[in-house]
Amino acid sequence: MKQSMEERIEQLKLKNATQKMNIFGRLLVDNREMSLWEHDTKTLSWGVRRWRRKALKFAREYIRPLAIQADLHPHDYDPKPILAAAARQGFQTLMLTPPLGTASTLQYYKGTAFQMAVVGEEFATECGGLALLLLAHNLGMAPILLSGSVRNILRQMIPFYLKSHLLGRPDCMAFAITEPGAGSDVEETEGGAKAKLVTTAKYAPEKKGYILNGRKCFISDGAIADKVTVYAKIGDEGIESWTCFLVEKGMPGFSVGRSERKMGQRAADASELIFDNVFVPNKNIVGKLRSGWANNRNVLNYSRPVVGSMALGHGRGAFERCLEFCRKTYLGPKRLIEYQDVQIELADMAISLWAARSMIWQSCRQFRCYQSGSASAKVFASDTAFKVCNQAMELMGDCGYLHEHGVERAWRDSRLTQIYEGTNQINRLALFEHHLSTDFCM
Amino acid sequence: MDREPAAGICAEDIIHYQDLARQYAKKSITPIFEGEYSDGNLSLLPEKLKTAFDIGIAATPDKTHSGCQYGIWGGATDETGLLPSILLLSIIAETCGGVAMCLHSQGVASNLLIQAKKELPFTPVMAALCLQEGFAPPYLGTIVSPDKDVPARVDTTAVKNKSGYIINGRKSFVYSMNGADAYVVFARMDNVWGCFLVPASESNVSANDVGVRTGLRACRVEHVDFNSVEIPQDARIDGGEAREMVIRAMNLNWTGMSAVAVGIAKGACASARRYAAERYQGGSQIEEHPAVKMLIGGAESATAAAEAALYSLPNGDLGSFKNLKKSAAVKLSVMELCSRAVTDCLQIFGGYGYMEDYGMEKRLRDVTVLKSASGSSAYLKQLIFDIGKEGAL
Repeated sequence: MKQSMEERIEQLKLKNATQKMNIFGRLLVDNREMSLWEHDTKTLSWGVRRWRRKALKFAREYIRPLAIQADLHPHDYDPKPILAAAARQGFQTLMLTPPLGTASTLQYYKGTAFQMAVVGEEFATECGGLALLLLAHNLGMAPILLSGSVRNILRQMIPFYLKSHLLGRPDCMAFAITEPGAGSDVEETEGGAKAKLVTTAKYAPEKKGYILNGRKCFISDGAIADKVTVYAKIGDEGIESWTCFLVEKGMPGFSVGRSERKMGQRAADASELIFDNVFVPNKNIVGKLRSGWANNRNVLNYSRPVVGSMALGHGRGAFERCLEFCRKTYLGPKRLIEYQDVQIELADMAISLWAARSMIWQSCRQFRCYQSGSASAKVFASDTAFKVCNQAMELMGDCGYLHEHGVERAWRDSRLTQIYEGTNQINRLALFEHHLSTDFCM
Repeated sequence: MDREPAAGICAEDIIHYQDLARQYAKKSITPIFEGEYSDGNLSLLPEKLKTAFDIGIAATPDKTHSGCQYGIWGGATDETGLLPSILLLSIIAETCGGVAMCLHSQGVASNLLIQAKKELPFTPVMAALCLQEGFAPPYLGTIVSPDKDVPARVDTTAVKNKSGYIINGRKSFVYSMNGADAYVVFARMDNVWGCFLVPASESNVSANDVGVRTGLRACRVEHVDFNSVEIPQDARIDGGEAREMVIRAMNLNWTGMSAVAVGIAKGACASARRYAAERYQGGSQIEEHPAVKMLIGGAESATAAAEAALYSLPNGDLGSFKNLKKSAAVKLSVMELCSRAVTDCLQIFGGYGYMEDYGMEKRLRDVTVLKSASGSSAYLKQLIFDIGKEGAL
């Protein structure tokens, strides 16, 4: 009997055509029907896989319902419940393994930032602002962990772990490097040497500590943080003297200034921090005196893959919501997803995201994150995410710029990832600098 | 056969239009941005738009206003060519894309009414164009055969009865100034297009705001429902078939939107240059940094290319497929070039570019809306190809 064209096409699909192969040939064809997400998850080791599934569930359960309102009215929602929920589930203590943290131990030593990167993507898929709210805390904690000071780590991490994971009342931390007159300067070597810094620490021997004066700006979670890791130069010295101080909420002279009005990632604040003769005791010095510059640069090495993964999440969020739109929307008698040009565009977006994910995962699959790998992953992922968000908006035509569909929110959110943690131009220079004596020697 | 191209305008006229737009932008639009408003203080907007009518920038079918002929897309457009309106729109958009879009959408609807050269049942001052249904404008197949699903037919219908017409349907993404007195509605009459003037005050007409959107917030954008709206016979403004009017509307729409995008990009480039000269980083002005030079240089060249493409648009028959193909191609490339220029300029500002203070994020939002609005790149590419096919030209 003559077959219709549809039947022939159906038979030619790999899954059906495989039936004509012998058993050994069939075994070599992967015909499992699973989503792109599931395929990627299956490539992960058990511990990371568990966190990826858990983060997806958390993002859908806690972040998704809050996302639209938190973006529209960032001052009218209370961030504490979601911070507490994340802490109870162990997301706020992923920077360490048990007994002081919740990261999967074996995988942690194979890639310290890997689990955080996997979680970051899931959170940011639902909302960039809320993802930043939850993850900026880890950035604030990173200087302590990367300082190498066991005294600092134990003193800060034991109470934090108890409060956060066991009691569900986490302290929130923030990371403060940017100054009004020095943004990119503090993220790059040459700029750092010439930077005009205003935040200064002056030794007060009679009090056994330092007096901090100055200002920091654009500090994520700055307004809600209980503790801030602040970098300051010592006296009249340059950035070589940068030292990291742990400043606690309530210290006399420490206050929060203006909260910026941002284009996106609005659910997380970006605030100005003011230090007016703030006394910081010696015990609150993070690591060694004058080790702040190295510490700061290394924090960026560990945080940039996570920023890349957040960007990837924004792109994925735009892609998923656009895909849903294409499933539901009709153009004439057919749904959009049935048109071949739409299928090609959607596939292109998925490929871009896949490439970015592969690069991020590759960049943090070792115990120590390195400068060029982290910078490259951040640049590629953030540029890719912005491109994918633009594609999604365009595919949806006029509906793309409506807030209700959530794609324009992802687009706004993704644009910031090309700027913070060093602009993408600065990150390109970081790659070059790292291999100056090898690949790029002059 | 194509009509003869319009004669164009002289150098003095060009300077006059430029001065007019600059004065309006400086005296009327700039004050909107005083204070902490990301999109300007929109409560001041009605007064500023009224000024646009008073000084003749805003077109209207109402002959008592000076803009009726020489406003943006006014009645003289076929005579003077596209240049005056392009100049006015791009200069105004350097300050605010949203206000420029208000004047542009008012102009397109007014142009259709003025060009109809018919006695209208009433003369609205503010009008809005109702053409699009769903998320995109009509595809070529729909323009040619509004009753066929190629790929989608027109759902808004006009049925003739004894006293006039009954209109049913829903139009999407209707851009207007602060509220329209009347809508210029394109509807299907059996297998042809019809164009009708429908008063906004009609009880069976309901307009609903589209909700929160990314940019161009000075403009009003609505979905408009027509539920058995009865209109008199003389409210039909086409001469029996409105396909040419559909093409004219799309042509003007894309040309004007491209002009607004070029204006936004030029404004962004100027701001980025100013900032680069003022801002110190690493002990020197950031304009000394090679990365900054590359970004600004790239943005300025993209803007210049976009401007060149815009000015290459031919004057002449605005109702022809040949010109529609050109304006579609111009919109496609101008939007791509301008959005790249604006995002590169924003990058110059670093973190400050992302904050509302310098107005760069607003420019990026505005130009991105223009890119997706009334025909995104995928739609335009398809239309450009389809028009090239036999029979359309």
